[in-house]
Amino acid sequence: MLPASLDEAVEALAATPAAVPVAGATDLMEAVNAGRLRPAALIGLGRITELRGWRYEDGGTAVLGAGLTHARMDRPDFAALIPALADAARTAGPPQVRNVGTLGGNIATAAPAGDTLPVLAALEATATLARPGATREVPVSHLLTGLDPLRPGELLTWVRVPLLHAPQVFLKATGRSGPARATASVAVVLDPARRAVRCAVGAVAPVPLRPLEAETWVASCIDWDGSREIDPAATAAFGEYVAAACVPDSYAAEGPWEAVTEGPTAAAVRLRRTVSVLARRALGRALK
Amino acid sequence: MTSPSDIAAMPPADNARPDGGDGEQPEPFGLGSSPLRTDALPKALGIYPYASDLWAEGLLWGAVLRAPHPHARILSVDTSAALALPGVRAVVTADDLPAGPDGGHDGAPHGPVVADRPILAAGVVRHHGEPVAAVAAEHPDTARLAAALIVVEYELLEPVTDPEQSFTAPPLHPDGNLFRHLPLRTGDPEAVGEVVVEGLYQVGRQDPAPLGAEAGLAVPRPDGGVELHLSSTDPHGDRDRTAACLGLEPDRVRLVVTGVPGATADREDLSFQVTLALLALRTGRPVKMTLTREESFHTHTTRHPALLRYRHHADAEGRLVKVEAQILLDGGAYADVSAEALAAATAFSVGPYVCPNVFVDAWAVRTNNPPAGRMRGEGALQTCFAYESQLDQLAVRLGLDPVEIRRRNALATGDSMPTGQAVTCPAPVTALLDAVASEPLPALPVDDPDADWLLPGGPGGAGDPASVRRGIGYAVGMVHMLGAEGEDEVSTATVRVSGDHATVICAAVDSGQGFATLARQIVQSVLGVSEVYIAPVDSDQSIAGPSARGRHTWVSGGAVERAALMVRHQLLQPIAANFGMSVELLSIADGKITSYDGVLGMPVGEALEGKELWATAQCRPHPTEPLDEAGQGDAFVSIAFCAMRAVVDVDIELGAVRVVDVTVAQDVGRALNPRQIEDRIEAGVAQGVGLALLEDLRTEGGLLVNPSLTGYRLPTALDTPEVRIAALLEERDVVATFGAKAVSAAPAVVAPAAVAAAVRAATGLPVGRLPIRAEDAVSA
Ligand SMILES: Cc1cc2nc3c(=O)[nH]c(=O)nc-3n(C[C@H](O)[C@H](O)[C@H](O)COP(=O)(O)OP(=O)(O)OC[C@H]3O[C@@H](n4cnc5c(N)ncnc54)[C@H](O)[C@@H]3O)c2cc1C
Repeated sequence: MLPASLDEAVEALAATPAAVPVAGATDLMEAVNAGRLRPAALIGLGRITELRGWRYEDGGTAVLGAGLTHARMDRPDFAALIPALADAARTAGPPQVRNVGTLGGNIATAAPAGDTLPVLAALEATATLARPGATREVPVSHLLTGLDPLRPGELLTWVRVPLLHAPQVFLKATGRSGPARATASVAVVLDPARRAVRCAVGAVAPVPLRPLEAETWVASCIDWDGSREIDPAATAAFGEYVAAACVPDSYAAEGPWEAVTEGPTAAAVRLRRTVSVLARRALGRALK
Repeated sequence: MTSPSDIAAMPPADNARPDGGDGEQPEPFGLGSSPLRTDALPKALGIYPYASDLWAEGLLWGAVLRAPHPHARILSVDTSAALALPGVRAVVTADDLPAGPDGGHDGAPHGPVVADRPILAAGVVRHHGEPVAAVAAEHPDTARLAAALIVVEYELLEPVTDPEQSFTAPPLHPDGNLFRHLPLRTGDPEAVGEVVVEGLYQVGRQDPAPLGAEAGLAVPRPDGGVELHLSSTDPHGDRDRTAACLGLEPDRVRLVVTGVPGATADREDLSFQVTLALLALRTGRPVKMTLTREESFHTHTTRHPALLRYRHHADAEGRLVKVEAQILLDGGAYADVSAEALAAATAFSVGPYVCPNVFVDAWAVRTNNPPAGRMRGEGALQTCFAYESQLDQLAVRLGLDPVEIRRRNALATGDSMPTGQAVTCPAPVTALLDAVASEPLPALPVDDPDADWLLPGGPGGAGDPASVRRGIGYAVGMVHMLGAEGEDEVSTATVRVSGDHATVICAAVDSGQGFATLARQIVQSVLGVSEVYIAPVDSDQSIAGPSARGRHTWVSGGAVERAALMVRHQLLQPIAANFGMSVELLSIADGKITSYDGVLGMPVGEALEGKELWATAQCRPHPTEPLDEAGQGDAFVSIAFCAMRAVVDVDIELGAVRVVDVTVAQDVGRALNPRQIEDRIEAGVAQGVGLALLEDLRTEGGLLVNPSLTGYRLPTALDTPEVRIAALLEERDVVATFGAKAVSAAPAVVAPAAVAAAVRAATGLPVGRLPIRAEDAVSA
């Protein structure tokens, strides 16, 4: 099925609950090819042009279509609006994948290493879920943790992101120079209106983690009224704080091929080091 | 009689060499030029047919059931549910293969050297993913479903996964756990040097990861035989072994070679093709099978993981006094070519250096890990990493420049290797080193601050210029060409001329290495005709041997050249007789025969008078001998050398490494096709960089952990460096065909050592294992 409008898609999905929506198919086809998924029917979202762009609401919010591709989010006009999301989209796989892979697909797949996810968590984004005749608004983090998951027959249509008009950074560590999934990623966004720093760490746990205490502490170290300067020692301490909060002592790299021969503590030490460097660099760049 | 040296009288080798000159260039022609590969365009356009594109009317689909355990006894196999599934046409197990010598079903074991690997596991499973049963069905999904319905009852056995435990573990196979122990002893064991350095080195498991997974089609023949369409790189060997496993005469099996989708090692997986043939014979219908990527990782052989302990003694000037080493190769579950890889590891354990006293013990052992086999520079690569790391350590200890310590010890033509074999071929080790060392270094970010600098971690990555350190490392290495230790090397080729074109019939498979292009160039040079057709390969042609060990340029190129020279003689002899001059005074160029004085000028087509001329010739290089119990002997036909300088940037906080530039100087004997050589060098460097930084097929308790292209990280374009060729040294190897040396393996052997040296230089860390993990490169 290839509905041409959002309403048609929502109706189609309600009419055939066994059908699976498909956007860029970069995750879906991988599951089909590996024999993990045999969808009874597919509902292609590619023709719904309204979902491929964004609009503004109340002056302070961007409403992003679930069909926005990573390649589109990486373009300068979008990067000026939500820099960290553009950073994440820029590194979310090779160009062929980013040309078709979408924001909605990234959220619905909810992979631990999904690159937009820590950014959405740090931005405290919400998602609109649509059924025929009804929509509901759910924080993206609740979707991801399963606190309030996507229900059968529901379509993810929009993602609401506050426009903060301040620096934000997403950094990702991979084991290589070519495109790769994150071994750890960090998003840092500044919210000057609320004098807040928000941070989320991706890929180290099934869902992005927010080091709330570290956020509060570091916000108090910033000179918000002046040039937003910070003592470099505080930036470094922030890195350590974030790492300690997000990587438990008992961390064992259960990712299938990460450090299978090492004991958990060594793995935790290494991952903390990586997260700490990323968080320090991200905050440093945001405050530069 | 003409002899190979007559090639000198042929059209000059430097005709139409593409040296950057633009404008109207004549079509590249003959040896020394760089014509476009005939398969390049179809491959780029996606219209080149591979085995997975094959189709036959009424075909069935095959699927294999693989063992989920690394070591287990098979108590029972129940195929009834699979057979009952509608659409299933056959289910086969070890019991369907011919019985062994003692009448029991042993799974028809086979192997390139020792027949120890069953086609389908019989009684015991010895590695994760070993085939246990196979199905043929009307639809691929039915076949896979049926395979999953086969019930196998296993009794789990303790897997032996640490090669060091293999010596004392109970035998995993009736042949025992030791594939080979090779001691090498030469000189004075009591010799001591003024400085001593020791090191322990580890090399992980690299997979050939061919672009196309294993695929093939088997078609039953009316005479009870079978025709196999496969991307084989050894059509005759594969035919013979398939026939033997099926209990058929070799002429009942015909092997047709389809497009090879990547082979940097043996592509042949005998279990795959014998199972396919068995299913076709069983059902009387064509059967097609295409493995999934995961199965592909489970089934083909990998590079040998290695553990190497070294102790180097040197005098105060840095000259080597004594080298002691213990080398352990993990051969995995079956023997394959482990014995041969061990010979290379042992013979080249000191590297391209002179050392009077060498004491090495090397072992290749059986474990329950994936079987290891042939892969560019098997054995030579692992030791190169170790001996070059040792030389770096010595250089640091003695305060010497890494290039200088290598110069002081460099092997030269006429020197002896630790095996006692004198190096009679060119060994331009010093010249290679000098060539890479004198190339200008790549620019630093400070030289060009406005450029978009690619930091370790890649574009949009987390790289921070303040934490990036640059490192420069050098390495030299060596690898042998052709089969070693007494292996019979031979190839046969037929050349035909008719009208204005020539045809080459030679069963040397172009596995991507470019042999078809080379054969065309050879015939062009000898016969002066530009249109040369290379016949597709099948096993009805004469034997040419496997596409491995850098042998086809030499043996098959030699056979093509001889056959072409014989045709040339047949063509010119009557004309020469007619004009009362000797054949040597005639030459052929641009499809025309001309005499030395220009008086005679006759198109080849006219000279043929409508006839076809055929000739068949063989090439068989001089024999070698096995290494004896002290590791002594003339085991190798010839050796190729290569030097590299790697430049890396390391983010010392995150351990991310980017290889910026690799500069290569290689001993090629003679550059028969410069562009193809550069391609081979780039490919070798890419594979070497992959092993150095990314590629590692991991196992945990014998179970494959990352058998996918997401988990197994192949280098992408961004991971591969700029490759610069500082020199292709053309010192002819007088015994080799055209004086040329094989080019593919040497760069793969040296690149990992060079990258490791550069990371060491950037971080000051020891870097003792490959691939280098991020935590091994964190020094801040
Ligand atoms: C080679 C490769 C590299 C990759 N690298 C990265 C990477 O570095 N970082 C990263 O984050 N991801 C990566 N990915 C994963 C993937 O590209 C992203 O997750 C992408 O955002 C998925 O989007 P899609 O449109 O292709 O989703 P699809 O595959 O079309 O869909 C994925 C899932 O989401 C559901 N879905 C899609 N749209 C909706 C909707 N509107 N409402 C409800 N459900 C929906 C589908 O039903 C399906 O279950 C990579 C993938 C590949 C193949």
